[in-house]
Amino acid sequence: MATVKLTNVKKVYGKDTVAVDNFNLDIADKEFIVFVGPSGCGKSTTLRMIAGLEDISGGTIEIDGVVVNDLQPRDRNIAMVFQNYALYPHLTVFENMAFSLRLKKAPQEEVYEKVVKAAEILGITEYLTRKPRALSGGQRQRVAIGRAMVRDSKVFLMDEPLSNLDAKLRNQMRAEIILLRQKIDTTFIYVTHDQTEAMTLGDRIVIMKDGFIQQVGTPTEVFDMPDNLFVAEFIGAPKMNTFKTNLVYEGGKYYVTPYGAKIEVTGSKAEALRAKGIGSREIILGVRPEHFVLVSGKSSNSIPCAIRVNEMMGSELHLHVEEANGDRLVVRIPTIALDDEQRKSMGYGATIHVTFEGKVMHFFDPETERNILA
Amino acid sequence: MKRLNDLEYLKLNKFRAVLYKLQLFLCAIPRFFKNVFLKLIALIVGCGKSIGASFLDIGRTFTRGNWAVKLSFLIFGFGNFYYGQVLRGILFLLFEVVFFVYMALPNGGIHWLAKGQWFQNGATIGTEQGRQDFHPVYDTPYWIEGDDSVKVLLYGLLTIIFIIAFVYTWRLQIKQCRICMDITAKGKKVRSGKDDLKSLLDDQFHKTLLALPATGILAFTVLPIIYMVLIAFTSYDGKHDGYSNLFGWMGFENFNLLLDFGNGGIGLAFGEILAWTLMWAFFATFTNYFLGMFVAIMINKKGIKFKKFWRTVLVMTIAIPQFVSLLYVSRLFDSTGVIGKILCDFLPQSMIDANQQSLWQNPITARILVIIINIWVGIPYIMLMATGILMNIPQDLYESAKIDGARGWQQYSKITLPYMMFVMGPYLLTSFVGNLNNFNVIYLLTQNNQLLNTSLGAPGGVSVTYTDLLITWLYKITLQSTDSPYYLASIIGILVFVVVAILSLIVYNVIPSTRNEEDYK
Amino acid sequence: MKKNNTNKLQKRGLGAKASRRIGNAVIYVVLALITVIWLFPFFGIVLESFRVEETGQVSYLWPKEFGFDNYIRLFKETDFMRWFLNTGLMGVCTAVLQTVFVLSMSYVLSRLRFKGRKLMMNLMLILGMFPGFLTMLLIYKVFYDFGLTEQMAPLGLIIVYCASSGMGYYVSKGFFDTIPKSLDEAARVDGATRFQVFYKLILPLSKPIVIYTVLMGFMAPWGDFMLANYLIHENSAGMSVAVGTFEWLSKTMLNTNYTMFCAAGVIVAIPVTVVFLCLQKYYVEGVTGGAVKG
Repeated sequence: MATVKLTNVKKVYGKDTVAVDNFNLDIADKEFIVFVGPSGCGKSTTLRMIAGLEDISGGTIEIDGVVVNDLQPRDRNIAMVFQNYALYPHLTVFENMAFSLRLKKAPQEEVYEKVVKAAEILGITEYLTRKPRALSGGQRQRVAIGRAMVRDSKVFLMDEPLSNLDAKLRNQMRAEIILLRQKIDTTFIYVTHDQTEAMTLGDRIVIMKDGFIQQVGTPTEVFDMPDNLFVAEFIGAPKMNTFKTNLVYEGGKYYVTPYGAKIEVTGSKAEALRAKGIGSREIILGVRPEHFVLVSGKSSNSIPCAIRVNEMMGSELHLHVEEANGDRLVVRIPTIALDDEQRKSMGYGATIHVTFEGKVMHFFDPETERNILA
Repeated sequence: MKRLNDLEYLKLNKFRAVLYKLQLFLCAIPRFFKNVFLKLIALIVGCGKSIGASFLDIGRTFTRGNWAVKLSFLIFGFGNFYYGQVLRGILFLLFEVVFFVYMALPNGGIHWLAKGQWFQNGATIGTEQGRQDFHPVYDTPYWIEGDDSVKVLLYGLLTIIFIIAFVYTWRLQIKQCRICMDITAKGKKVRSGKDDLKSLLDDQFHKTLLALPATGILAFTVLPIIYMVLIAFTSYDGKHDGYSNLFGWMGFENFNLLLDFGNGGIGLAFGEILAWTLMWAFFATFTNYFLGMFVAIMINKKGIKFKKFWRTVLVMTIAIPQFVSLLYVSRLFDSTGVIGKILCDFLPQSMIDANQQSLWQNPITARILVIIINIWVGIPYIMLMATGILMNIPQDLYESAKIDGARGWQQYSKITLPYMMFVMGPYLLTSFVGNLNNFNVIYLLTQNNQLLNTSLGAPGGVSVTYTDLLITWLYKITLQSTDSPYYLASIIGILVFVVVAILSLIVYNVIPSTRNEEDYK
Repeated sequence: MKKNNTNKLQKRGLGAKASRRIGNAVIYVVLALITVIWLFPFFGIVLESFRVEETGQVSYLWPKEFGFDNYIRLFKETDFMRWFLNTGLMGVCTAVLQTVFVLSMSYVLSRLRFKGRKLMMNLMLILGMFPGFLTMLLIYKVFYDFGLTEQMAPLGLIIVYCASSGMGYYVSKGFFDTIPKSLDEAARVDGATRFQVFYKLILPLSKPIVIYTVLMGFMAPWGDFMLANYLIHENSAGMSVAVGTFEWLSKTMLNTNYTMFCAAGVIVAIPVTVVFLCLQKYYVEGVTGGAVKG
């Protein structure tokens, strides 16, 4: 129902503590956008500036083409769900959800209709007369979402809404938010520190660090083509392995040489390198744990390493291994690829040989940490 | 001294660690005063800078502004009118008109200011002495009205405040002109009077809420305190009450009284009374603190029954107005009182001189008595507070201590006590300051008991007893003294402030828990 | 070996239990003693108020003859009724006004951020270090001119008690600080103005501290002697109970008025104590919640 446009938005606390800087983003109508990043990266601050709970130190924020910098939160036509729910403890669930309508002095029938409709969608009809303290965490979360739903607002803001829930409930609520989105059909801005939530919920993801945007893109884009080392390591779990090594251009072919192995770059990556005309150079190589493969013995393109930790995750094994130099790598291997014999042999100290395919690696500049293909 | 790093410090044994801490503390004192001094300088420099910036802004506004803005340098609110802020404009203009009318009236500001003869040593405040005269025909005495110094000083002070407010408002409306100018230049609309009124319930809500309390504080605390400080520089007393006899400016001469350490001198009396006041505050605070905590721990111990009953018994003391309980208790301990009689009979004669029949008449027992009775008054408060803290101590701390092998009393000494001491640290300071000025307990307990007077003579025209604090002395000077030297009362008041301020500053900077209360949360 | 061990443990367990029992017994004795000490004056004052045979102070506690003489004298021969009403009126007015002042101030300082907030708090801290009594020098003079002293002193005193009460914001600010800020924010996003946040959200949530503040305001005039005595200036019509009955214990009046003072004390103590004990829960919450955070 509304577009949101942030232009050069800046937030400075006190005299010189910059929380957010140079934030530019166009959010399309009905888009689900996720701000993600480690704590203190400015994602919540940005959201709160959109909500009007923080002053904007510089730049402009537009909602539906109207500059809202100087508008009070209540005049921005937004709804917001808070991390700790922020339910009014002295009001019942019904009155909590009706709060904004009561402020508008809406007639009782309208209040009833809207609140009950939202409660039905969220499945909390039976709790409407209870006080918040008599609810469980998940129920409180639903009330908080319900309170935002009855507002019919242009933009729906959510500030880490799931982080106070336990892991199981979080997965369940995440699925419900996806469903909810189909029903509400409005513009969502969602803040989280959890990359899984970001990947599963967002149409587009905004990855932030130290107040700056690192990359904006669809989940596939940020996963397949991270703009820089930070994004590469932040998205995906376990995180991407990175090591300093050389890119070698030899006889029309590209090779990488990690830990003495020599692995050819193939497929689209090789083409991209060639198209950019890149020669031999130092790089930081990034390989995701799932892209490693076990090989049976030592060869010219394999890396020998000793197992330090073996995490059995069920469908896959996470092996934390140590390379001869002392560097640590994480290797992820589907359980199905291993026979019993192999599984048993993978105890502490056992040596395995790993390699990876030529088409799935990422190259970063050691100086700027930027993706040299981006 | 040499500073140890963390690992070196951990090597010290207990005794040396304490010694080291003490050294650190002593070393910190000069640095602390240096810091205060530097902060003060920084404050002054900051003020200067912002005033400078203000002038710069005024100048820039004048050069950049159009004719309307330029005119509002003379006519308040003109710029506001020009930019359509009628409400603000009217208020500003009204203020200016009222100011000039008040200043120019024959009985107005300039008149009062001139009469005050401000800070001219030896000059009177007010110029016309009222005097007695006899009616020419009937020969009856009548009073020819002159000036009243009290009023002259007050109106003069008000006028000065008014002038400061005027300058501030002038600056304010110029600033608003500049803001309007900027907003209009950007092509936006300035806030209308309606917006202003609305915002008083919203983003300017603090102004609405503060209007009453702040006015109250300004009128009934700030103004009287400034006035009182001024009185210290005058000769205001019972004889020179301003009406029958004008009083005048004395400069710093009054403060010389403090240097009089002879018999009956103010300096000596002040020193002795201050010493007792500090001693009293120290004992009153710490006896209450430790005993109250102790009582709270006893009541809240697991397995003790009737918790509510014990608590209510103590809380009764808070409920009953102090004048009832304190006056009654003070009589109880008098020679004829129930307890006083028993004590007089049992205590050795040396403690109660043969010719002094009452505990109140012996300086030592009187002082001990007020401290003991104050325990009776104060424990309930501490008990309540300590109870609250006890309930907040996370139970898992005790559980983990039990597993680590702590016995019952060890749990108290290692967990309960440190926790409470820490959380109640800031309260100790407030309580200490409160006791310095604890008028009620001392005055109600001792005033009716013909206490033994000190050998200090009559400093300030009143006799001082052994239990008098600075605040009760001050009270007596203004109410019971033969010539009511108000200027002296004022000087003592200022000194009390200085004492309290220095103590607070030191404590605040030395006790960590007054600053970071987060450690235990 | 194992058996031996458990035996030892059992022995220690029994020992601990026994010592705890002894400890508890000691505590009960101490608490009983405390109860006697703390209640003694109250029993004493009640007993002496019923004494008939002697109006002065005596050195025994139990009256030889019981009667209501002191109470009858109190209402017939003195202005006590008037003082009592004066003080009650002051208590009610102070309770209302002071609550408004204190809550406004503490809400602003706890919740709203504006330029000069820190400065204001520091200034109030510094002002609080002056002995408050000294402000009476000027206030008395001004009130005298406005006719707010002597028989009109109750009115003047109400103003004095309330005007600067905003400076005592610490306890209630401490309480407001514990209400999560995100509640305010949620309400503001929901469309509430600051005023509505205060009135629809914070006030209903602050019942204990509102009652605490009212209670404190109500009790202030009953306990105050210093300021009241200054403004009343020995005019019987304007006296509060504290100032009025104080004189009865002076050397000159002690012999005739001592038991009457006790009777007055009982009458004053009853309403205040009843109110106080009823609202004790809130008082305790106020003291323990707000004061420590200070």
